[in-house]
Order: sequence, then C-alpha cells, then structure tokens
Amino acid sequence: MKYRLTVEQLAVRFGGLQAVRDMSLLVAPGEIRGLIGPNGAGKTTVINAITGAVAIAAGRVLLDDAPMSGLTAHAISRRGIGRTFQHVEPFGELSVLDNVLLGVGRHAPVSFGQAAFATPRAREREAQAVRETLDVLERFDLLAYRDTPAAELPFGVLKRMDLARALAARPTLLLMDEPTSGMSESEADRAIAAARALAESQGITLLVIEHNMRVMMALAHSVTVMQNGAVIAEGTPTEIQRNRTVIDAYLGEEAVDAAD
Amino acid sequence: MASRRTTILALSAVVLFGAAAAPLGSYPVYLLSLAMINIIAAVGLNLLTGNSGQISLCHSSFMAIGAYTSTLLAAKLGVPFWAAIPLGALLAAAMGALVGAPASRLEGIYLALATLGFLQIVQIVIEELASLTGGVRGLTVPKAAVAGVALGEYARFLIVFGCCTLAIWIANNLLASRVGRELNAVRLSPPAAQALGISVGRVKLAAFALAAAYAGVAGGLQAIVVGFIDPVEFGVSAALRQITFIVVGGMGSVAGSVIGAAVLSGLPEVLRPVKEYSDLIYTLILLGFLIFIPRGLVTVWHALARRLRGPDVPPVAEAGQ
Amino acid sequence: MTTALALQLAIAGISVGSIYALVALAIVIPFKASGVLNFGQGEIVTLGAYAALILTQMALPYPIVLAGVLVLGAVGGMVIERVLIRPIVKAPEFTLVIATFAIGLLIKGVISVRFGDSPNTIDGPFGTDPIVAAGLRFNPTSLWILACTALVTVGVILFFRYTRLGKAMRAVSVNAEAARLMGIRVGTVYRWSWAISTAIGALAGLLVAPLIGINPEIGQLILRGLLAAVIGGFTSVPGAIVGGIAVGLIETFSGVLIGSAFKNLVPFLLLMVLLVFRPQGLFGAADIKRV
Repeated sequence: MKYRLTVEQLAVRFGGLQAVRDMSLLVAPGEIRGLIGPNGAGKTTVINAITGAVAIAAGRVLLDDAPMSGLTAHAISRRGIGRTFQHVEPFGELSVLDNVLLGVGRHAPVSFGQAAFATPRAREREAQAVRETLDVLERFDLLAYRDTPAAELPFGVLKRMDLARALAARPTLLLMDEPTSGMSESEADRAIAAARALAESQGITLLVIEHNMRVMMALAHSVTVMQNGAVIAEGTPTEIQRNRTVIDAYLGEEAVDAAD
Repeated sequence: MASRRTTILALSAVVLFGAAAAPLGSYPVYLLSLAMINIIAAVGLNLLTGNSGQISLCHSSFMAIGAYTSTLLAAKLGVPFWAAIPLGALLAAAMGALVGAPASRLEGIYLALATLGFLQIVQIVIEELASLTGGVRGLTVPKAAVAGVALGEYARFLIVFGCCTLAIWIANNLLASRVGRELNAVRLSPPAAQALGISVGRVKLAAFALAAAYAGVAGGLQAIVVGFIDPVEFGVSAALRQITFIVVGGMGSVAGSVIGAAVLSGLPEVLRPVKEYSDLIYTLILLGFLIFIPRGLVTVWHALARRLRGPDVPPVAEAGQ
Repeated sequence: MTTALALQLAIAGISVGSIYALVALAIVIPFKASGVLNFGQGEIVTLGAYAALILTQMALPYPIVLAGVLVLGAVGGMVIERVLIRPIVKAPEFTLVIATFAIGLLIKGVISVRFGDSPNTIDGPFGTDPIVAAGLRFNPTSLWILACTALVTVGVILFFRYTRLGKAMRAVSVNAEAARLMGIRVGTVYRWSWAISTAIGALAGLLVAPLIGINPEIGQLILRGLLAAVIGGFTSVPGAIVGGIAVGLIETFSGVLIGSAFKNLVPFLLLMVLLVFRPQGLFGAADIKRV
C-alpha cells in the first residue's frame, strides 16, 4: 500500500539541542492520525520539518513516495501539504475573505500580466475564486466576519479561519497544530466536525497535534505518541488511552503541572 | 489599504487636473507634470515598501537608471522617446531584480543598508563614467519629438498624464488581485505565505523589479520634461522625498501614494518665499507624520468619511469584488 | 610599493580608520542597548565639528573646546532620544530607520541654513608640522586621533565591564524586559546610551575637522561608519574598532592601488558582499535577521 505520508528516521537539531530523534511515521491516504505527547516532545518540530520550515538533520520525508525533504517550504506546500499554526499566523491587516482567498486563489492562477490589466479572464477567475471562498466561509461559519480584518477576530474565530484557509488550498495532506486550542467546547466540536467532513469528502489525509483528549478520541483513526523527540507508542485511540508508557509520560507532566 | 472609492476619487482629481491644465501657462503645466512624475515614483515605491514591506533607500537610483538609459539611447542612438523610455524602464526593472535577489533575504536595517549601498554605487558610477553620463555636470536631454516636431510643454504633460493614469490603474488592478494579496501576505506573515505555496523570495524579488520599473518610467519622463539630468537629482534626498510621499499619504495604498505625492509636490511652490527652509520643512513633515500620523493622510480621510457617513455603515475595503 | 610607503599608508589608513571606528562605536552602542540604529549619526559628527568651530571662534583653549564638544554632544543626544526617539521606540523598523535618517537631515538642514555651505576649518591641537621618527613622517593630528580613539575604546570597554551603568546597559541589550523586572531603569539606560554615542560622534567631528575641513557634508562619514559596524558585527564594541581600522586601511590602500576614479566603489561593493554572505561580520552573532 502506498502511504500518503512517510517519515523515515527524522532527526532535527537546534544548535546543541536534539529536538527530534529517529522519528518514523507512516500515514495512509485518507487516514486521520493524531500526534500527541507532553510539552516539548517535538510535535510541532516534526510538522515544521515536514513543511520545510526547519532544516532536517537526518532522515527523510515522502509524500506519496515523492521526496519532500530538501525542497523549499513553498514548493512543499505546492505539492499538496498544508498546515495550520499553533499560534495562528493570520494576515492581520487583510479581511477574513482575503485571507481565505489566498488559499483558494492558487487553483485558478492569474498571471501577472492578466492581473495588471484586469483582463476579462482575470476578472472571471477572481469572481470564481471569491465564490469558492464564500463557500468555504459558509461551511466554517465565517460569513459574518468576511470583511473583518483578521487582527480584530476573537481567538476562537481566528483558529477557525486558519483552518478554513488551509483547507481552501485543497491540500492532499493537512498538518494541524493544536487546531482547537483557545476554542470553547462547542466551537471545538463544530470546527472539528467541519474539518472531518471536509477531509472525508475530499479524501484529505490529516495529521493532527492535539492536547484535547476528547477531540482526539472523536477525531482520530489512530494516534502516535511522542516524548523527548521520539515515538513511544502508536495505536488506536482506545489502545493509547490504556497504554502504560503513555500514561507514565503524561503523568510525569501532570505532576509537574500540578506542582505549579 | 484604501477602498476602491477613494482611489476612484483620487483618479478623478487627476483627470480634473488634466482637463484644467489646458488653458494654464507653461510653468504651471510643467509643475503638474513634475507632480505626476512624483506620483508614478511614489506608487511604485509604495508597492515595494508599503505592500511587500521592504525598505528601499535606492528608489531614486532606479529613476536614475531609467533617466540616464533613455537619455543616452536618445542622444547617442537617436532612439525616439516613446521607445527609449520603456527601454530605460526595462533596464531599471532588470536592475531591480538584480538588487531584489539578495535583498529579498534581508530585513530591516540590513536591507536599508544594502539599498543605501546600491544607491551610493549608482551615484559613483554615474559620476565616474563622466564621458558617457556627463558626470556631476549632468547631461542635457534631447528634446522629445514626434515626426521631427519637438513636443511642447502641454504635449509632454499629456504624455506624463497618460503614463500616470496607466500607472495608477495598473497598481490598482494588481492590488485587487492575487498579486496584491501575495505582496501583502509576504509582509504580514511569511510562514503562512510559504504554507500556502507562495514563494516569499520570488514575490519580494518581483516587488523590487516592479517598483524599479515604475521608477524607471518616472525617471525617463522626468528627463524629457526637465530637459536636463544630473546625479544629485537621484541621490539620497530624492530617495527620502519619495519615502516622505508614501509616509504622508499612507503606506500600502495607491490612493495614499497619489495624495502624498500630489500634496507634497505642491509644497516647494508654496514654500517659495522661504526656499532655504524648504528641505528643513520637508524633513519636519516627515518626522511629524512618522511620530503622530504614521498611517498617513489616507487614514485621516477614511476616519473623516466614516464620521460623516455615520456609525451604521461598514467602512471597510471591498477587495476582491 | 616600498616598505616605507606602505608603512606611511598604513599609518594614514589607521588614523582615518580611527575616525570610522569612533563613528561605528557611536552607532553600535545605542543599537546594542535599544535596538535603534541611528542613521543620523553622521550628522552628529557634523554637529561636533561645528560645535568645535563655534567654541574655537570664541577663542577658548583646546581642552575647553574638547570638553565643550563632548558635553554638547551628550546633551544633544539626550534631547534627541527624549523628544524624537522615545515616542517611536516601539514602532516598526521602517519607522525607526527613516526617522533617524530624517533627524540627521534635520540637523544638516539647520546647520546649512545657519552656516551656509562655505567651508570652514580649525587647527589640530598640535599644529601641522609633521613629526619625524624612524625615517617616517607622521601628521600630529593623525597621531592625536589615534591616541583619542585608543583612550575612548579603553574607556568604553572599562565602562561596560566595571561600571553599574555599563553593566545595566549590557543587561538591557540582552533582554530589556528582564532588565526592567530586575529593577533597572530602562529609560535611563536608553538615554545614557544615546548620550554616550552622540558624545563619541561629536568627538569624532572635532577630531576629523582639522583633516577634512568643516562643511555640512561631513555626515557622509556615516557610510564608512556603517560599513565598519557591519564588518565588526553590529553588536560588538571591539568589532566596531577593528571594522573602522579595516575600512580606513582598505580605503587608503585602494586609493593608491586602484586610482581615484573607482576607489570609492570598493567600500560599497564590500558592504554589499558582506550583507549578502556574512551580515554578522567578523564578530557578530550569527542569528541575524535573515528571511
């Protein structure tokens, strides 16, 4: 079986710090994989490495058997890997519409010349892109905010926009970094339901970092657990919940949290 | 960023200028031509600095490249102005890409320094290749002519006017399209832009080339309007003046470029009686705006418009429609 | 080139480089402390030269002129920091770059209006007769510049290492918020970092005046100072000195080797190459703002 995402013995170093060591991952097409682990486990770094935002010290990343490691970040995105950000990353001054348009616009590209002279084709493509964007906004309950500058959005709505924007680009693989953090329970449920529906209808593979166990259980087909830069367990959500090693890893963290 | 409406208003003002200029004497027409040349330069710079977020202290150098190239083509090879100016702009754009390639990887003070360095290099090259460029003594520009007939003040004004309108129209189109969105995106969040498949480096480079093209056109037009060019015209003071236009008018907005350049172009005339102080006053205006009205006159205009319209009406930009 | 000539050129290069070193120092100090790069520093040098002119024309003895220039420079810096920099210290980099540029132009404009373009000059404190030693001729002013630069360098290094204010400045440059939490008055630190830097800049103006005369265009020195700061790494004090000397030597030797036409290109080409390939210079930290 061909895997959508292959991560082979990935290692990432920051100066003297080994953030990720010998990490491997295989995600099937259409699968929804959760990636969990205590803080500092290296989860976001794995995503950054896959998207080309940080340099890989060793190992490789493949999308449908095509090597991604070594490509520039934007080239990797163009191959079909999208992501959302833990701390969002809105185009603050731009409206929600424009933010999501930037995701959509990739599929009906308008050349520089066409844009400069506002040719009929350019205007048609733009109108089409806007229609598609409004569609996405509706699906994510964002129509009310269409003209609001992203910087003025409440955090939960911002996260929704981040998700909508990433999905608008129609990735084949979407990496989500804590998509529901900052959202209320009901917001989180709605957002995840929308994401799951969209992913399933368009066959998008998801790799999701989540701290919210409830969301993770409802969403993921299988879960990978990391600690200290390496994988410590893998399995279905139910299996993971009962896994001794995983519980210890989290208990360790809980003890630290409780002590604060 | 300005709304379509504001830009249309600004454009209307320009058109009014055009029509009203016909009966005026040649000196006022000359001044209007200079103002519109400033507008073209400002629009280009704003796309680079206001939209794609790259500081450039060498915008006037691209004007110089456009001016000297078109003038030398006309003087040495007899190329007519209507071909020489576009060719000059093309060379300017190429140099813009050349500067933009490394510049797109720099930020903040390092970018400012790199562009400052480029400006100095261009100045020195112009000064030292004196046999070609006339050096510090400058170069007389062959009169722009059509079918052997030299163009008068008003004819040249119409040419500048046409170019200015085209420049504004194109910039407006670009900003309302994916090109404009990408320019802003690379400024607002490079990681998010990369994640959406936008090559930040390439967009920044293109922005440099685009701004340089605008400057090149402005330079070529300035050459035929003034009839004389020298390196001082295109030095640090000129670069700073163009930055003043966009700061005062409003960064990231075509209307801002137009307003800033138009208002400040009128200033030297208004300040005629206190000429020695005009540079000083320019600088004070720049500082004043940087400290107190950093978003420029365009936002003042928007705020006023909002106040007049009343609180119910949503005032925000209608991009993408 | 004979050894004697090379040596002479080296001395000339080092002494001119000392001026650049002082300018670079004046740029690096407030940049380290407050993150603001003062693009108007060149005009501070000009200000120093004109202050020296005024004081000398009042027939004051050199030591008083020297002290006066330092004090005026320091006070000027404090005023600029309080009135023009403080309101925008949190603004985006663009605003800071352009504002400091504009401040420089403002100063230059005021000087131009007050004094016009006519060149002036003052004499160095030790006359112009060359000092002959070991078969070489030394310009006494150049030697004086070298001596002053050495003194300032030592003074600055000692200041940062041993004085409370110096250590506070270092703390602020590493992490202003943490410094504030430790009880350091960050505003005071900023003010003094500017005062020191403008005093040094003004001193450079006084020192260089006998060599190149006094006119509003002295501010062009900033370009060499900036190059020196880049070579040295923007946040390194010894780097600024080394950078300045290097620029001085490069300039002097390329003048002889290349001829006067394009010798001015060398510093700027060097600047561009450095910015592209090694923006942190020789001594700076590698985590430069690169995209």
